[in-house]
Amino acid sequence: MSWIGYSLRRGILSTRYPLRADSMAPAYRGAVESLPANVEAQALGAGACLSSALTAAGARARVDRKRCFQCGECARRSPEAFGMRNEFELAEVAGNPDEVRSLLRERVRGLGRSVHLRHVDAGSDGSEEQELQAIFNPFYDANRLGIFLTATPRHADVLVVTGVVTRAMAQPLLAAHEAMPQPKLVVALGTSACSGGIFSRSIAVLGPVSDVLPVDVFIPGTPPSPLTILHGLWVALGYAAARGRS
Amino acid sequence: MSAQARSRVAGGERLAWIFADRIGRQTRLHYVFANGASLVDVGSDAAGSVQSLTPVTPAAEWYEREIRDRFGLEFENLSDDRPLVRVEPPDELRKRESPEISTVLYGPIRSGIVESARWTIDTAGETFVEVAPSMFFKHRGLEERFVGVELELAPFVAEHVSGATASSHAAAFCRAVETVADVHVPERARAARSVLVELERVAQHLDSLGKLADDGSLSVGSAQTFAAKERVHRLLAAGTGHRFGRGVCCVGGTRFDVLASLREACDRELEEVERHARSVVQTLVSTQSLLDRLIGAGKLTYEQVVRFGAVGPVARGSGVSCDARTGDDYFYTPLTGEEVLESNGDAAARALVRAAEIQRSFQLIRNALSANPPGDWLAKAAPRDGCGFARVEAPQGELIYFVRIEGGRLMRVAIRPPSYANWPLFVPSLPGNIFTDFSFIEHSFAASQSEVDR
Repeated sequence: MSWIGYSLRRGILSTRYPLRADSMAPAYRGAVESLPANVEAQALGAGACLSSALTAAGARARVDRKRCFQCGECARRSPEAFGMRNEFELAEVAGNPDEVRSLLRERVRGLGRSVHLRHVDAGSDGSEEQELQAIFNPFYDANRLGIFLTATPRHADVLVVTGVVTRAMAQPLLAAHEAMPQPKLVVALGTSACSGGIFSRSIAVLGPVSDVLPVDVFIPGTPPSPLTILHGLWVALGYAAARGRS
Repeated sequence: MSAQARSRVAGGERLAWIFADRIGRQTRLHYVFANGASLVDVGSDAAGSVQSLTPVTPAAEWYEREIRDRFGLEFENLSDDRPLVRVEPPDELRKRESPEISTVLYGPIRSGIVESARWTIDTAGETFVEVAPSMFFKHRGLEERFVGVELELAPFVAEHVSGATASSHAAAFCRAVETVADVHVPERARAARSVLVELERVAQHLDSLGKLADDGSLSVGSAQTFAAKERVHRLLAAGTGHRFGRGVCCVGGTRFDVLASLREACDRELEEVERHARSVVQTLVSTQSLLDRLIGAGKLTYEQVVRFGAVGPVARGSGVSCDARTGDDYFYTPLTGEEVLESNGDAAARALVRAAEIQRSFQLIRNALSANPPGDWLAKAAPRDGCGFARVEAPQGELIYFVRIEGGRLMRVAIRPPSYANWPLFVPSLPGNIFTDFSFIEHSFAASQSEVDR
């Protein structure tokens, strides 16, 4: 009884996102943005990037958000060329976002309003797991969107992979994917899973998830915030188009 | 030289770490002992085979096995000759002859949102007979990743070792470099770092308690605990720009005046964060149905903890005093009050330690915020050559970093995460317990797999 009373006194905490807008704290470093600046300023910021997400080029630097691990060092060293914004809808797909959206919608039509996730840790830093767990806490409550966790890949519709794929995890990851029924989606969760991040030149790892499995949606971030994850899952289910291009 | 290490073990000092450092063609072994508030490094050049320390202390086993697997050094009389770092395929695992005992492979992919590790469980139906861990599925070569990275950027690599306790890792790494660079870190930066590490402790202890509540089918209790944890992450996002406080620490201080932004965020939110955390923890530890599952599960005696050299809440739950903050004047806030100790050594004792530490952390956060030391937050560090150690009390216990700098470049970084010191003790905590106790015991340890595998 005490827990029921406790919970009732706390009131409703849940966001209405993605049906209503929500936002991150103004200071949150979500998306890196390149600003019009001279090449020297661009190179200064790009030189501070451990994961080679930035390339100095032309009027403004090129940014690969799948590689950005949100440290903000480029904006600190070279504020003329780079800025961090508190944007959180960061999911990307391979190809034209609108085309991919309708293809994904078509693929998951049979799932109805109940989607089951199976998570596999291929070599994460441990925080991606906590943020994935967080989408089920009362503030985000992914269950209200029909998103559930399942213990077995046999019941899973979406394979959520965290971390860069290490040599030892490649085979178990492939086995889990193999065990899933059709239709199956693959989501790479976190910058390391999306692009390899700072590990792209490490011999201890195989590479990003897309080197091992066909990835449908990339959710960058180190770790991606729960809102970023909800948006990415919404993209995976074809309800929203990815903002970025591949 | 391992003779000197032996006599220190015999003298009752805690073996905190053994690691290897390769300089040219020479491999150097470092035996690190914890002596009160300081670390003592007994270094020796290794050639041929080395006498193992495992006959005198089981704490040496994992360190020596890892060094053997990664550096090719042989240890004589090593108590367990199985590989630690190389992940064996299942068919290579030893078979049990006894027909009533069956072997179950659990992992590396397990149910729920958990990190990858595999457990080989020998069971006679319901009770555990013997459990053997296979880890390093997640080995990413992080210690090697540091080599050559610019000092100012290297804390970002440390934050990748364990994302959930990134502030502790960044602070420990920076502190190790600072001992070499001989820089005086401004008090303002120290205060900010202590706020970050304590907020991280609150979040991670809530994570452990929330998982225990979930294991005990206490769904409302678990949901409310994770809600309290979420408030900590929102506070961190507002105060630091990152939900886990990453991207703040750098060698010589902090990257920006994070204490000012943390104070602003805490003025608005800390009271509500603290109220939610305190009340949910209070209700959890007075919920008898949960305590019933925790009492007696995964029991560890005082002697076992001392012999294995465990740290953090695992040690303190068995009455062993081990807190790197005690007697440490590095962080601005001196640690006030008694260390939280419990004596029962079971999962309940570890949960009670965490519950009490959450309250204490809020006190430390308030102390640091109200002290608000004025002045600069970043001191210029002139890179010098040499080796340095530093430790920080991370949420799971004592975390140690070693750095060797040559020509202003990082040549070797070695990490002794708290989970590494505690995992070997997980194995003897299991026999006699039943299958459904596994997750309770695991979550009462709250070890991070990513920092163990590195």
